[in-house]
This record gives sequence, structure tokens and C-alpha cells, in this order.
Amino acid sequence: MLFSSVTFLFFFLPVVLVLYYIIPAKGKNIVLLIASLVFYAWGEPVYVALLLLSVCLNYFCGREIQAGEDDPRRAKRSVIFAVVANILILGFFKYYGFLLDMLSELFSADIPYRVLPLPIGISFYTFQALSYVVDIYRKKVKAQNNILSFALYICMFPKLIAGPVVRYADFEQQLTERRFSVGRIGQGSRYFIIGLAKKAILANTAGAIFEQISAGPASSMSALTAWIGCISFAFQIYFDFSGYSDMAVGLGKMFGFEFRKNFDYPYTATSIADFWRRWHISLTNWFREYVYIPLGGNQCSPARNVLNIMIVWTLTGMWHGAAWNFIVWGVYYGIILVMEKYVWGVFLDEVPKVVARIYTGILVLVGWVFFFSPSLGYSVRYLMAMIGAGAGLADAQGGFLLITHWLLYLLAVLCSGTVGIRLFRGITGISSNRKVRAVTETAVYMIMFFISVAFLVTDTYNPFLYFRF
Amino acid sequence: MKHVGPYVFTVAKYVVLMLTAGYIALLLLFAGVSRKSFDEVSAAVSSAVDTNNLSGQDSQAFKRNFGLNSSEYSGVLYYASASGISAEEVLLIQVADSSQISQVTDALEEHVESRQQIFEGYAPEQARLLESARQSVRGSYIFFAVSENADRYMEAFAGSL
Repeated sequence: MLFSSVTFLFFFLPVVLVLYYIIPAKGKNIVLLIASLVFYAWGEPVYVALLLLSVCLNYFCGREIQAGEDDPRRAKRSVIFAVVANILILGFFKYYGFLLDMLSELFSADIPYRVLPLPIGISFYTFQALSYVVDIYRKKVKAQNNILSFALYICMFPKLIAGPVVRYADFEQQLTERRFSVGRIGQGSRYFIIGLAKKAILANTAGAIFEQISAGPASSMSALTAWIGCISFAFQIYFDFSGYSDMAVGLGKMFGFEFRKNFDYPYTATSIADFWRRWHISLTNWFREYVYIPLGGNQCSPARNVLNIMIVWTLTGMWHGAAWNFIVWGVYYGIILVMEKYVWGVFLDEVPKVVARIYTGILVLVGWVFFFSPSLGYSVRYLMAMIGAGAGLADAQGGFLLITHWLLYLLAVLCSGTVGIRLFRGITGISSNRKVRAVTETAVYMIMFFISVAFLVTDTYNPFLYFRF
Repeated sequence: MKHVGPYVFTVAKYVVLMLTAGYIALLLLFAGVSRKSFDEVSAAVSSAVDTNNLSGQDSQAFKRNFGLNSSEYSGVLYYASASGISAEEVLLIQVADSSQISQVTDALEEHVESRQQIFEGYAPEQARLLESARQSVRGSYIFFAVSENADRYMEAFAGSL
């Protein structure tokens, strides 16, 4: 089920909200857990079993680590087992086909294998489980004794499918103590509507343009068309994923939970390091906390630090998919981050912000080419088209798309930065009268909601891009 | 549970891990998708079909009988009997997207129901053949057969994956 579907908006969410608020406090977690399992099963009935097995495995692993806390060697063995088991399960579903293809090529053989569809959300809920077991071992949290409460942590539907990756330490207290109010439901609704508008209006429209452009061969694109395609993808993936994250945060608030934001206007970044402090924040934090720092972080020699950065970014690329283009994408960012840290980072601090943003924007766009390309060869051809080595500098298609979608690009640019939200607050806060402001704000949000629904009902199936991961 | 020793959790985690391994094995057997192309699978099915009774049909016949457009799918193989008093047919479809699976299975269900109504009156043995129609969804492939040899055709299909 998608957040941006009519079934979710007009059936599932209202029913779950009503049930949640009429059930007494003791039963709220159960309602949410059952709703989450129904939500997951709606699209993935077969893989609900895998989700529940993962819950049970990590629950017992967590209890075992906790029970052995007086014996450090035992606790270490337990956490190693938990980490390896989780990675093996995730690795199997994500990478075994890729590995077998690689072996087939290496040995010029055709190793037959059966392909299993990737369980939706497995990367996200496995990473949450990993953070849980490691934090118990590090004594940052206590193991959850109630398996249903733990299941809710892993399965809670607002964040189950595409994050944010929530650490157990940030969630634990909210299992038993959370505040409910009409104000929070209202706040959550505002986040949700903004996220829905980002997805339905901006992301899907930009995505349709990108699909149209990428349907043709890269070598026959003009530079203008290639840039429009790349920029459209950049807007699509940002509004798609940040829209989803906003909806997840909003839904969390509606049920009394607080999740941290996952995006902080990444396209306003003034360096690649800054970009990654603003993009998919929960994943970046996860890799820093559980891979980079244990490897030694920057508390080591420069050479070792470079190695640590490259390991983290190679893994980040791999997390996004079992294909060489994702690995290249990750390595690409690893190299740039190393260069910013050790070579030209000081110069970035000296240049005007607009120059730094252009520098960052170009590098991010080039990165997206690796990300969306079906193969490395395609990414090279696409990059060549971007510099005019395809079908010249401009063509009718590029001009037509620019002229017919100028409003989309204007809105996308405004909404990518703080200008958009400031304009929005300016419109809704135009009157000094509190009641008028409240009515204006409500009307604006309702209009956004209905426009979003109108876009959704006229659109075909529109899954979130990050569902693939 | 508070005072339970760690060994219970150790045993439990191994049990869950074994269950997970077993579950994955079952998935591979029954939900795993073959990497075989439509050409390979359809060739295997075609080689098993009794062409004395059945002949290959075009997209118009497919549309007429099932109400579906063959151009929307990655591959369609359709055999039917030329005789008006025979319900025998074999169908193999490879869907382009998993969301099409329910569309096809719904169409097959409607097709069987309407054919049963037609044959009940004047060829009841054909109506009984329709009751024992074989259908299988394996990954992106949907197989359907109404025939006395339906089991053999199904084996050819399953064996080709």
C-alpha cells in the first residue's frame, strides 16, 4: 500500500486513526502493530512472514546479548551472531543474484538461479534491527522484554517501507510515554499534506518528464535535453523521498510519535559533505555510527581515514542496489569527500556561497547520472550528451519541455530551498488576526490536499523510488 | 520471562534462524522466478502441445476469448481447438508487470465461467473438462490449460522454468 494512494488516504488511515484513538492507552500499541502488519501485507503478503521472522530473530538476539552482559566475551559472540545473521539475510535477498551474475561472467559460465523479488523495506528494517542489537551490546539501551513492543519498533508502518531509520534509543520511551493532542494530529496532518503534495504534484510530474527523456538513447540527446532529464530526476528523487519522509514524520505525529527529519534542504548545500549532512540524514548517521566510527573514523592516520571513508561510501552505494552503477555512485562520493577533506575543502570555505552551491549542484547532478543509469555504459553516454557530445547543444524536445513545464521547475526550485516555505508562511500568515490566519492556513492545506488527490487519481501506479532499496 | 537465562534465547534464536532458512528455501522453490526467456518457456510448452487437436491462435482470437490485449504483455502463446464443440485450449502469458497478474487471473476466471455456461447445454463433457482446468502462476508467467492432457502441459511448463 502506498501513502499516496486513494485506498490509504480515504480508507486505511481514517480507520486506523479512529480505532487508535477509541482504544484505551494499553491497547494502542497493539492496534498500531496490527495496522502495520496489514499495511505491509497489503502489498507483500508473502514477505510478512520474513518480517515477523526478523522481528523474532532480533528480539531473541537482543535478549541474549542483554542476559550475557556480565560476560563480555559471551555478549560479543552474541552480537556478532546477530549482525552476521541480519547481514546474511539482507545480503541474500539483495545481492545473491548480483554475485552469481559476477561469478558467471568471471568463469564464463551460465550459473542458473531463481530470482526472488526484493522484500519491500528490508534494507530499512534490517538496519534498524542492527542498530538495536549493537546498541544493546554497547549498553546504550536495554533489550525490550515485550516482543510486541519490539515488533512495533521494527514494523511501525509510517517508517517501515522507506525509513527514516529510527534508532531504538529514540523510540523506546515513546513506546510507553507519548503525548496525544488535537494539536499534534493537526501538526502531523500538515507535515503529511506537504509530503503528499511533494510526491503527487512535484515528484510524479518531474518523474514523467525524466521517463520521457530517458526512454530514448542517451547518444541521441542534446545537451539541453540531457540536462533537463538529469535535473528532472534530481527533483523527482528529492521530492519523492523527502515527501515520503515528511509523510512518515506526519503520520508518526498523528499517532503520538516524534521522528527526526530525514532531509534538510540538501540542494542548498555548499559542499558535498554538507549535502550528505542534509540528504537521507538517518542513513548517513547510521553509517557513521555503526561503520565509520567503529572503523576508527577520523581518529587515526590520514591514510586510514581515507580508507574508512571509501569503505563507508562503497557500502552506501551497495546499500542502494546490487548493481555496478550504485557502487560507482558510492565510490564517486567517497572520492569527492576525501578530496574536500584533504585537498580543496579550505577553498570551498573561502568562495562565495553561490559558487559553492553551483559546485555542489553540478557534482550532485553528475552523481545522479550514475544513480539512474541502468548500466555504466549508459551513464558515460549520458554524461557525454550533457557536454554536447550527443546530438548537439539544444533541440526541439528540450526547448518544448522547458517551455511547457516552466511552472513545475519554478515551483521545484522554490520548494527545494527555504524560499518556498517562507513564501508559504507569508501567505498563510498574511493577517494579524489569529482566527483569519487559522482559516487561511486550513484553506491552503485543504487546497493542496485536493490538488494532490486530483493528481493521484489521474496518475497510474506511482510507487516511491526508495521502495526499491 | 524476566528471570529466564540466556540459554533459552540462544535456543530460540537458532530455531528462528532455521525457520528463516526453511522459509527462504520454500520461497525459492515456489515463488522464485525463472530467468528463462519467454521464447524458451513457450518453446517447451509448444513442444508438448498436441497440434492434431490444437492450433496456434493470433492476438485477435486472444482478445475475443479473454478480453485482453496481447500487446500489453511481454509474451502470449495461445492454442485453441478449431472445433466449435471443443473447450480445449492452452494459454501461456508472461506479464510485463506484477500488477497485471490479477487482471489476467480475473479474465481467466470469467472466461471459464462463460464457457461452462455455453457448453453445459450441448457438450456437457466439455463443461466438465473446464471444471478441471489447470492454472499456475509462477513469477511473471501464467499458465492455463483446458484439456485431457492438461497435466502433461503443466509439467512441460513447470519443467521449463
